Amino acid sequence: MTKRPTLFSLILSMPLLVWQLMFFLSPLLFLVTISFWTVRNFQMQPDLSFANWGRILTRGVFWDAYLRTMVLATAAAAITSMIAFPASYAISFKMSEKAKRWIIFVLIIPFFTSYLVRVYSLQVFLSDAGVVNAALGYLGLGPFSMLNNAFGIIVGMITLTLPLVILLQTFSLNFVNRDLIEAAQNLRCGRLRTVFAVIVPSAKVGLVIAALFAFILSFGDFVSPLYLGGGNPPTLSIMITDITKSGQQWPRAAVVAIMMIITLLTVAFAAITYAYRERGK
Amino acid sequence: MKVNAEMEQQSDPIVKFGNVVKRFGDFTAVEKASFEIGRGEFLAIMGSSGCGKTTTLRMLAGLEDPSEGTIYLDGEKVNGKATWDRDTPMVWQSLALFPFLTVQENVEFALKMRGVGKEERRQRAEKWLEKMQITEFAGRNINQLSGGQKQRVALARALVTEPKILLLDEPLSALDAHLKVRMQSVLSNLQKDLGITFVYVTHSMSEAFSMADRVVIMSRGKIEQIGTPEEIYHEPYNRFVAEFLGSANIFDGKILGPADTGGWQIAYDGGETVLPQNELPDAHPGQTVTFIVSAENMRLSLPGSDQSGIEASVVGEEFIGGTAMVFLETTTGQELKVQKSHDELSLLNLHAGSRVVVHWAPESCHVLIGENV
Amino acid sequence: MGNENRIINGLLKLHIAFCLLFIFAPIAGSFVFSLNSDRFPSLPLGEFSTEWYRLIWEDSLVWQGFANTLVVGVTVAIIATLLGFGGAYTDFRYNFIGKSFYLALALLPPTIPVVILGLAMLAFLSRVNLSGSTISVIIAHGVMCSPFAMAIIRLRLSQMDPDLEAASWNMGGNQWQTLCFVIIPFAKPAIFAALFITMAVSFDEFAVAWFVSGLNETLPVKILGFLQGQVSPRINAIGSLAFLSSMTLIILAQLLLRSPEETKS
Repeated sequence: MTKRPTLFSLILSMPLLVWQLMFFLSPLLFLVTISFWTVRNFQMQPDLSFANWGRILTRGVFWDAYLRTMVLATAAAAITSMIAFPASYAISFKMSEKAKRWIIFVLIIPFFTSYLVRVYSLQVFLSDAGVVNAALGYLGLGPFSMLNNAFGIIVGMITLTLPLVILLQTFSLNFVNRDLIEAAQNLRCGRLRTVFAVIVPSAKVGLVIAALFAFILSFGDFVSPLYLGGGNPPTLSIMITDITKSGQQWPRAAVVAIMMIITLLTVAFAAITYAYRERGK
Repeated sequence: MKVNAEMEQQSDPIVKFGNVVKRFGDFTAVEKASFEIGRGEFLAIMGSSGCGKTTTLRMLAGLEDPSEGTIYLDGEKVNGKATWDRDTPMVWQSLALFPFLTVQENVEFALKMRGVGKEERRQRAEKWLEKMQITEFAGRNINQLSGGQKQRVALARALVTEPKILLLDEPLSALDAHLKVRMQSVLSNLQKDLGITFVYVTHSMSEAFSMADRVVIMSRGKIEQIGTPEEIYHEPYNRFVAEFLGSANIFDGKILGPADTGGWQIAYDGGETVLPQNELPDAHPGQTVTFIVSAENMRLSLPGSDQSGIEASVVGEEFIGGTAMVFLETTTGQELKVQKSHDELSLLNLHAGSRVVVHWAPESCHVLIGENV
Repeated sequence: MGNENRIINGLLKLHIAFCLLFIFAPIAGSFVFSLNSDRFPSLPLGEFSTEWYRLIWEDSLVWQGFANTLVVGVTVAIIATLLGFGGAYTDFRYNFIGKSFYLALALLPPTIPVVILGLAMLAFLSRVNLSGSTISVIIAHGVMCSPFAMAIIRLRLSQMDPDLEAASWNMGGNQWQTLCFVIIPFAKPAIFAALFITMAVSFDEFAVAWFVSGLNETLPVKILGFLQGQVSPRINAIGSLAFLSSMTLIILAQLLLRSPEETKS
């Protein structure tokens, strides 16, 4: 049904389209453009040079950071998913409707409260003389070094993604047909086995999407790597800020940014294809 | 309560419910249910929604635990035994086929859970796919099958372990009328071939009566009657069953005394009639009695003929195949229904508002025993 | 079976408690540390003190940042909710070629890392001479917040009986009247929720602001400045206030979104 758009429909639909074209798509396309520009005397000059691409993509430093970011984000997504699943399972299957609504209510809050301040607070918790080590000290353990290393970064990323992952997993588990679970148990499938044979496959799409979101957020995160990981060695996000601050090398930062977006798109595409793949012809 | 004598005496029933009660919080879903199911029997549990029929089935499957009473399955008390430790496969109303598995994998599921080897699993699944005539869909995704095909997959999946009993929870309710009738005969034949017990929950009288050896009628958690379809149809135990079946007129009367022609003379709201002696063996004058006359046994005459009976006026009529159901209202406001052939009705030339006289033979009357105790 | 069940359920509940503790400890910690006399809080905690609140109260830069945050937050909330409402209604009512492109453009910004978005916007806005102003922060936040507004309002519209609109047209209401007297009243809770949530997102979104804004720093940018310099419990004090404001907004938004059936039970 393609009718000529009315004035009414245009007034409602166009502002968002124009805004996002001008201020979302254009900047991203502009980023692609400047990746081919050159910098002279701290000034960007329009150009069609592949020098930036060559310079970044042949650097070991870049690929080290790339691999590090990949590993950190993958680990964060996997660990968050595994921590979240028993909680989501319990919320979805063991709680009353009222308790369910309350816990969803509570979990939405941290998603919109400043991540930066939470990470700052975590710094106080995790430092060598911080709260966690002091508490462990009473038990005769530690102190453990929990800051300026991968542990700190991943803890930060989990803080960022855990509420969202629990929420997404819970929603997908809520949609699992309860009859399927009973049918499996009726056919001799034990309780734990039912979780893996029926619940996980049924909720596959939601579980994969939840892990994907955790990956995307962690992959682009630069707060945790900077404040809990010490910023060195850098992840890709930190590399972007470093390059930007030192000598106006924006074109090179753009190359790193584009590589990140390509990676995210590839991972998202692969994850979604995997999530929706069906068995049988 | 009337219980089929033959079944009652079966020495080794496969299922035995003893005073089973199921409560959910304050709500009692099943109240003191006691009955037995024979080996190789096709038993239907029938009632309207919320009557406790599905809860009864789920307790048998081990999906709910009874609050009180005992359930014996194949001679063993199964209270508290998890569903995965029982051999009571069920066919769900929603079918509950696993959408993330292929048809073949669905059928193999129960075997896999029992640790049956891959090759044997395949062979046994294929045998059932063939039996249910769905071999060609083995590799398909569940979502690509039609309603009837899914039904067959669900049956194959439940039967692949060759259980002694199969539970079915309104499995045909999602099918259209034509397919429903076809699946009914598939189920009937399957049950006869396999010789195993089927317990079939339904709200549909036609499904229950056309397939089952015996029918359990439930309402509000209580069992109202157990019997063969014929017994239930001709001798409903109480008012509930008579109303549920829907084809009989119910009268409340009082015994006046012995009738001149034998039997009892009864007065009811609108007239008098005679009830045969054998319907009320130990009655006494003054006793109240509730009896029914089925719609097809009612007779109609035009006023002015010397036939005595209840005077009523026509409210409307409804066609039921080769016959019609005429709805009447007596002068005292009671509603009656009379089933007649179209030929017979055309002779009477009835229309809305026509006045008629309704009467019946004494032997058409049946006393509702459950109402007179 | 019953016993085993109870143990499993107990363990699962314990796990949920652990997750909540993990999620909320930093937030609670921030409040505790902000009221603690120690420069660098650890166990055992120091004395109770409101010193850090006094310090930020007297800091004019904090006030300036707070004022900027508020101006930006309110403006962004209004713009993003207007844009989001239009987008949500467009998705609800119309089918057109390129709709998936429209939706992708409308909803994708939150999936792009803020660092990249910030970099791209700063480069682009400085090219069109918009960088360094409050306007640029508002533009950037508008991009990031409108998807949230759109999602919330779209969800509400999907709960509406589509015949309501047709009934209004049928009774002679034109499109604009129907919008004003049927759609907007129906979507009102979601519209307010969208205002609150986008304001909260704007409050919290510092990275883009950090890149984009020059002189007019918003509060989170100020926090970032603190963080890079020194460890100061003043951050905890500011952070606690930021938490309080966003939590209030989010709780209000969620209360608005609870459907009447839910609140009854």
